[in-house]
Amino acid sequence: MASIRRTGGEKLWIRYLILGAWALFCITPALWFLSIGLRPRTEIITPQPIYWPTFSLDAWHMLWSDWPMAKYLRNSVAAIFGSVLIDLVLAIPAAYSLARYEYRGRDDIGFYILSTRMMAPAIVAIPIFFLFRNAGLLDTVWALMLIYAAVNLSVVTWIIRSYMLDIPKELEDSARTDGASDLRILWEIIIPAIRPGIITAAVIAMIFAINEFLFTLLIASTPKAYTMSVALANFTGGSDGVIYNAIALVAFLAFIPVFIVVVAIQKHLSRGLTLGAVKG
Amino acid sequence: MTDSLTKDPGAAIAAPGSNKKKIVRRRSKRLKRLFPYLLVAPAVIYLLMITLYPGIYAIIQSFYFVKFGPWRPVGLENYVELFNDREFWAALWNTFVIGSISLCLQCVLALLLAYYAYRDPWIQGWRIVFLVPMLFMPSAVAFIFKLAFLDGRVFSDLLIRIGLIDSNLAIPSSIWMSRALLILADTWQWTPFLFIIFVAALQGQDEEVEEAARLDGASWAAIFWNISLPLMRPVIAVALILRAIDITTMFANVFIITKGGPGGATETISYFIYRIGFKTFNFGYASAASVVMLILTVIIAQLVVKRAFVSGRG
Repeated sequence: MASIRRTGGEKLWIRYLILGAWALFCITPALWFLSIGLRPRTEIITPQPIYWPTFSLDAWHMLWSDWPMAKYLRNSVAAIFGSVLIDLVLAIPAAYSLARYEYRGRDDIGFYILSTRMMAPAIVAIPIFFLFRNAGLLDTVWALMLIYAAVNLSVVTWIIRSYMLDIPKELEDSARTDGASDLRILWEIIIPAIRPGIITAAVIAMIFAINEFLFTLLIASTPKAYTMSVALANFTGGSDGVIYNAIALVAFLAFIPVFIVVVAIQKHLSRGLTLGAVKG
Repeated sequence: MTDSLTKDPGAAIAAPGSNKKKIVRRRSKRLKRLFPYLLVAPAVIYLLMITLYPGIYAIIQSFYFVKFGPWRPVGLENYVELFNDREFWAALWNTFVIGSISLCLQCVLALLLAYYAYRDPWIQGWRIVFLVPMLFMPSAVAFIFKLAFLDGRVFSDLLIRIGLIDSNLAIPSSIWMSRALLILADTWQWTPFLFIIFVAALQGQDEEVEEAARLDGASWAAIFWNISLPLMRPVIAVALILRAIDITTMFANVFIITKGGPGGATETISYFIYRIGFKTFNFGYASAASVVMLILTVIIAQLVVKRAFVSGRG
């Protein structure tokens, strides 16, 4: 049945005027920034802004010749994938425990895990800086991996927990009467059944890890462990001023994979972003 | 039930070496009870390392003067100094002002957009357009706005072209324009976050309720205001809390766009702690500020977040 909702209510031109205006507002700065990445440096900061620049791949060449861009990319990828892996290994059993067992303190434990999401990075930044310094991990990808995993663990656990709560208990009960152990049920029934949830959690964790800034800034203080996010902030090359075209290109380099995975999990995105609170 | 006890994975571990069934049963029973704790323990221990350990460390450090040399105990001096520090109060105030304006603005915009979008037959296809700002790294977004409003003066130039102003805006020296710039950058990037959550919540609502109201002659605005909005209150609460957490801990935008200027008018609490700790290297003092923030966070978590996330859910 074609519902009333689909055919809409008030005048359509108002709807499309408002949505169209907002779409423009979203897209224009992004496209303009892309044009910054594809113009020569001399046309970026000028007495009069230049709206139709000459096309140039200067920044692209500079990126690979003047900076160890490949290394930054490698660092980002290693730290991000490593952290997501740590998160999944820790979060899946934890979420299973929170979603499927009744025991004393369960809700408090669940809330504790969630509450770490609220912790401002700045609050714990100083002790963590010393912790990693004493462990000799400053300026390493390992430190970044560990910290990204910690930052995202709450989110990953809660998303997966939400998907586990959706699985009918009967599914497990029949397996249990067949004599399967709890761990086998988790591995062979639950995990395959919530694969979309696990993928969603991994994607959200990946995006947050790419975005992470303050910890990365503190832990990666030399180019040895720079990731894309912090490398950006350091394209401010002293006497050269801020090298905007390189920044713009790096921004798009990081944007493309995020865009692709978000399109892939679109249906689960709002659920993931609310840690499972919205079943959209 | 007893059958599944012996099939418990813990039983297999406990069994070797002991032939007495009784002991096995008792051990496996204890393991059975401990099993959910064992599952959740690694995650909790991992998180304690980044919350409890740093929390205790910060509390201890806040009673010392720590710069480069050995720690020197100073009692409550750091806290006394902190509560008399105008910059600290200013940072709290700035965080509140910038955060609450951003949050209200984003919530209203997202609700308005969601109201127009959720009934659109094509919205599933083209909502990705609305998500674009959210998919950039926050540090990249900060540079977009820094260039457009400060270094490149594009915004001023556009306003001059359409005749609204005569000369370039002096944004960096204006308190409210600097704050507005941070608010705008945050709003551009994160309104989409609220938008897609609200759209999903609206589309998840029962259509029949709407149709019934519609047949009774209610207008779409009335339906939205009286039916849809109250129904999605829990969702709005969760989304706004998540947004509020990120706004109050805003760092990259301040670090890149304004550096806290002019005269500290855009210095948020995160930037304050960072500046004290890593620019002046007064670690003990910064830790005192961290502890105050930590206490505020715990209070707010208990009062607000717990209610939104834990209760009211199945």
